[in-house]
Amino acid sequence: MNYQQMAIPPRSEHLWRYTPWPRIHPSSIDEVPIAADVIFSLEGRESFETIPQAADNFDDIARSFLHATGSSCHRMVISGQSDPIHINARASGHIAVGHLELEVKDSAVVFIHISGEPEWVGLHITGKIHPNAHLSFGFINELDSNSKFLRCEDWTVERDAELEHATLSVGGFRCKSDMRTTLNGTGASIRQSITVNAIGARHDDEHVEIQHLHGHTYSNLVMNSACGGSSHFIGTGLLTITEGADKSDASQVFRNLLLSEKARAEAIPELEVLADDVSAAHGAASAPIDRNQMHYLMSRGLNPQEAQSMIVHGFLLNAFSNLTNKCLIEEMRTRLTVHLECELRR
Amino acid sequence: MTDDAQELIGDYRYGFHDPENSTIRFDKGLSEQVVRDISELKNEPKWMTDIRVKAYRHFVERVMPEWGNCSLLNMIDFENVTYFLRSSDKTEKSWDDVPDDIKNTFNRLGIPEAEQKWLGGVTAQYESEAVYHSIREDLEEQGVIFLDMDSGLKQYPDIIKKYFGTVVPHSDNKFSALNTAVWSGGSFLYIPKGVSVEMPVQAYFRINAKNMGQFERTLIIADEGSTVHYVEGCTAPNYSTDSLHSAVVELIAMEGAKIRYSTVQNWSSNVYNLVTKRAIAHKNATIEWVDGNIGSKLTMKYPSVLLKGEGAHAEVISVAYAGNGQHQDTGAKVHHLASNTTSNILSKSISKNGGRSSYRGLLQVTPKSTGCRSKVVCDALILDEHSRSDTYPTMEIGNSTSDLEHEASVSKVSSDQLFYLMSRGFTEDEAMGLIVNGFFEPFTRELPMEYAVELNKLIELEMEGSIG
Repeated sequence: MNYQQMAIPPRSEHLWRYTPWPRIHPSSIDEVPIAADVIFSLEGRESFETIPQAADNFDDIARSFLHATGSSCHRMVISGQSDPIHINARASGHIAVGHLELEVKDSAVVFIHISGEPEWVGLHITGKIHPNAHLSFGFINELDSNSKFLRCEDWTVERDAELEHATLSVGGFRCKSDMRTTLNGTGASIRQSITVNAIGARHDDEHVEIQHLHGHTYSNLVMNSACGGSSHFIGTGLLTITEGADKSDASQVFRNLLLSEKARAEAIPELEVLADDVSAAHGAASAPIDRNQMHYLMSRGLNPQEAQSMIVHGFLLNAFSNLTNKCLIEEMRTRLTVHLECELRR
Repeated sequence: MTDDAQELIGDYRYGFHDPENSTIRFDKGLSEQVVRDISELKNEPKWMTDIRVKAYRHFVERVMPEWGNCSLLNMIDFENVTYFLRSSDKTEKSWDDVPDDIKNTFNRLGIPEAEQKWLGGVTAQYESEAVYHSIREDLEEQGVIFLDMDSGLKQYPDIIKKYFGTVVPHSDNKFSALNTAVWSGGSFLYIPKGVSVEMPVQAYFRINAKNMGQFERTLIIADEGSTVHYVEGCTAPNYSTDSLHSAVVELIAMEGAKIRYSTVQNWSSNVYNLVTKRAIAHKNATIEWVDGNIGSKLTMKYPSVLLKGEGAHAEVISVAYAGNGQHQDTGAKVHHLASNTTSNILSKSISKNGGRSSYRGLLQVTPKSTGCRSKVVCDALILDEHSRSDTYPTMEIGNSTSDLEHEASVSKVSSDQLFYLMSRGFTEDEAMGLIVNGFFEPFTRELPMEYAVELNKLIELEMEGSIG
């Protein structure tokens, strides 16, 4: 079924409840607009292999739309790479779409940094982590504050492979992310952290699905958001432990820090457990900044903006505490620090 | 009962049924004429007939929910349901006057005994209408009104007209529309200002006939500073075909009032239990839903509270037990619509023998509701590899001054706990029973003693043979 044959998803689905498809589509929902390519470039490496897109067999409207608007796919097979790989994704013009496919056969650290001033940009990333391989993946969204952004990711983590996945979302006006991971072999694991700084009138909707298909698999998701201005953050997570996936360990924590009266945050951490010998838990919390913390910092000479920025910084950094790769943590920490300092100087 | 039905139902202890001696029984199926006939039969005022017809039209137009267990929901055959069945010509005030066959049923359920010992009032509903109703004289003297809903409409039409459908409008969902169209029976309870009803009042709902639909409507109004505890129990016999229970419960707690609404739902596992329960809490009022779901084929029930007045508080404690062929889709919804409102939700569930339990909750804080606090805790136990447990919580926070927490866990019974108890002489079954009763303890301690004992017995019964 192609995009134009698909029904518009109802808002009763949590995935589309707060950011329905018409709100993230670049034009009229019946249209498949002509899109420019997102330009991918690598720092200090040869270019990607460009391959035709695979057939459209998606049952999800966002993926199907990205397939219909994209022309080709950038593919990279990583084996035996020791230095971190930095991929710059540059989007410009009216509408831009990019497809990226990663295959990891060894240990690797990959960063994708998306930037530019397009009106609308769509990105579909697919990744396969081979057995015993390890990928530390960082995604940094620093798009222009007027851009709309649709991002879909599909990861398959094979037996005894590990995926560490970090997202820093600070750009774009309206963002919708749908990240899905399948733990497809015994011992597969994912540690995922998402950090969102929602300022002004930003609307950021982050959806994560993790499926435990086999036993002895592990997943840990931490999602921290700081919401100021009249921003709106939505975090939805669905952890599924399928029948027979015993000894699986799944957890997810959502924390929202609300910084202004008009800011809004929604948290929907869902669990579906079909096996009995598992450990599955989730938690969610939303609260304002602790007055005692503000008082403490201000009594030491910081003005209210500096004190708030410092608290937000510490809170957002905490999302990366479930990661283990130092290079990944350091890069995400640096990007976040730079972003918050720039914001403070404005 | 057929062998198939027996296999489906298992050891459900209230699965007996008595010969059906109805005085009026409508043909199966639903139409506008059926709705008008029910209203005419009850000699209702025109405004109620109009509400029913409007609700029926909405029901026809409204699509089935597109969430939850759609495959089970879509199996409901609305044309194979009897929408009205009268078993007794009037509601008796004396137990001796209740027809013998119905009296026998309630005797076996222990209702008169409970009334004598510890209840302030009783309504017993058999099929579509109340067959017995009583209230203690001292409560009546204090101005407490406790009637079945049909009598309430006849005797206090102005109050009913003022509040009916204000908490759960007919357009709320497909099943509230159905209930509003064909409602019959239920309770009407009014507590005057400052009156505290010390002993619980109880309603007991029994479906006896095959393919029966029970659509009771309950309205409870606690005036300023009053308190009341309302207890509801439900059972049905075992049939191989399905019955439908679709109630609507509306609670209104005025300033400073407190309503506790306790339910132990123990329908047989051929009953669809699709209930809309909602309360409004005004300034400094308290609403407590204590909700136990043991039986039914599919339960979809999410007791809700609209915290409309400053300082209002909501408390929801619910437990669910999902056995073979059962899906308990339960939860709680709290809407913080005013400042400084607070809520606590505690949900516990057990899935066994392929049963499925789901927690579905909503916690909403509107932008103008400052200083709200809420805590949600969901715990689930899965007792075998064929069962399933889901949690679908939603938190919508509209301002920066509220503090909300949610936590949930899914696990199996700890082998350490089993080992500990067995090393002290308990068999594995006994140890498992103790752990499960302990798991449900935060719920049972909130129930009146007799109900708590009954619930523990029910759980023990359901837990039999759960090891291995």
